[in-house]
Amino acid sequence: MIGQRLRDMFWIGLSLLIGLYLLGPILLVILFSFNESALTSLPLTGLTFDWYVKLANIDYFWPALWNSAVIGIAVSIISVVTGTLAALGLAQMEPVKASRLIYILSLPMMLPALVIGIALLSFFVRLLTIRLGIATVILGQLVVVQPFVSAIVYARLQTFDWAIVDSARDLGASATKAFLSVTLPVIQPTLVGAGLIALAISLDDFIITFFMIGSGNTLPTMVWGLVRTSLDPTINALATMLIAVSIGSTALALKFSRYRG
Amino acid sequence: METESTKANRVLGVLPLGLWPAAAVYATLFVAPLLFFLVISFWIVRARMMRPSFTFQNYAETFTDYGDVLVFTLAIAALIAVVTTVLAFLFAYAIRFKLGRFSNVFLFLTLVTLFGGYLVKIYAWKSILGTDGVLNQALLALGVISEPVSVLLYSVNGVVITLAYFLLPFAVLPIYGGLRGIKEVTMEAARDLGAGPWHVMKDVVLPQCKGGLLTAFTLCFLISAGDYVTPKFVGGGAALIGTFIENQFTIAFNWPLGAAMAFVAMLATLLAVLVVKFMLDWSLKP
Repeated sequence: MIGQRLRDMFWIGLSLLIGLYLLGPILLVILFSFNESALTSLPLTGLTFDWYVKLANIDYFWPALWNSAVIGIAVSIISVVTGTLAALGLAQMEPVKASRLIYILSLPMMLPALVIGIALLSFFVRLLTIRLGIATVILGQLVVVQPFVSAIVYARLQTFDWAIVDSARDLGASATKAFLSVTLPVIQPTLVGAGLIALAISLDDFIITFFMIGSGNTLPTMVWGLVRTSLDPTINALATMLIAVSIGSTALALKFSRYRG
Repeated sequence: METESTKANRVLGVLPLGLWPAAAVYATLFVAPLLFFLVISFWIVRARMMRPSFTFQNYAETFTDYGDVLVFTLAIAALIAVVTTVLAFLFAYAIRFKLGRFSNVFLFLTLVTLFGGYLVKIYAWKSILGTDGVLNQALLALGVISEPVSVLLYSVNGVVITLAYFLLPFAVLPIYGGLRGIKEVTMEAARDLGAGPWHVMKDVVLPQCKGGLLTAFTLCFLISAGDYVTPKFVGGGAALIGTFIENQFTIAFNWPLGAAMAFVAMLATLLAVLVVKFMLDWSLKP
């Protein structure tokens, strides 16, 4: 009996430690963003919003926020369209062929982002001589985000009842009409979830963005610059914003895909 | 629908219509850039300009000048992957079998920390691991150490702690997925038949989540071996191959050498993953 007790204590203690390891650093970043002291160390000296004010007063913060928003929204919309179409196409194929193809299409997720970034940089700058900017960032992120979306939507289509589409077709609906009035409403929560995941990945991407943006900033490249130049909790304020947005969109995505998908 | 799609298939070839936009993105923004990247790995740089050529010089230089960095990178990546996979297995095992009604809380924690932000997480550890960071403060307060430890930040330790932290939620999920398929009945049956804890683990639990373990290990290994941001922020002198590849594009402007280094590194990483898969298959044979 005592042995059993000890074993239970061991597992609970271990889980709490690993849980602390997972959550602690994120909580500290948030905590220090509201702390008066300019040093990110204990003890806490008092509550302040000064670091958020200071962040808002950095002249390149607002353009960076705007760029991140434009890129994130563009990448989510495009990837949901191409990824969903791909998933629908895959669903028409034999499962064995489809899973082989999914594996191939998922390769960009498995390569280091560094390699994708520098390969695209060489391709755009040296071969196509395209000017780097927001558009090239969107294209670069699309490569990595699209497989996520098609994997999520394809997984949903595995349990989709195709008989209802056939019924609509038998009753005279065109293929387009059947898609819009039957398939789309059923898979729509999954598409919203996939779009939010796409948004979270896009907003968080630093490496591909860094190589694709030329000049200018997004929020992550701004973090990169701030970490190298300043050491006060302005970074914590920016980091807290990023945490809130990415955890918020992930939580929303989970809600959408779990409760209605 | 049948006839229309088969008609379309005859026109467009083997792929269903819906796959074409994604395939176009894949071909123009992934395959083509990689092929061009492979081509420039055989080029040369003269007077800071890339010139088309066909030389293996960059590959030779990668092996002679960066061979040791590559070996170091693979070793560190393997260490991080092992540490993370073991921690992830213990955590997933606890969530699945040991935590009862609290298991959902811990699973939710894992899901939420998946997307906490890559740079944000690295930055967090930069401020935790320093000599006046929170970890040293906590250890001092607890009396574990009598003066701040300086080997945490700007060292290999920093890289391992930070990357293991970043990768942990990604590793927990596939392993938990594997463990979910194990029925308690099977484990009890094994115990009733006289199997000790070690045998239940080796013959029931581990084979069931072998796929999850391999996925977790591979993911952690690939991401660690390809990372350059973490060593730059918390690694100090401990640079991985990615750091040197990035330098070729941002400082040294020798893109062909950088390309050759990238292909060698990817090939070496792939070989390492295959070796691990072979070893795992062999060791978990019933």
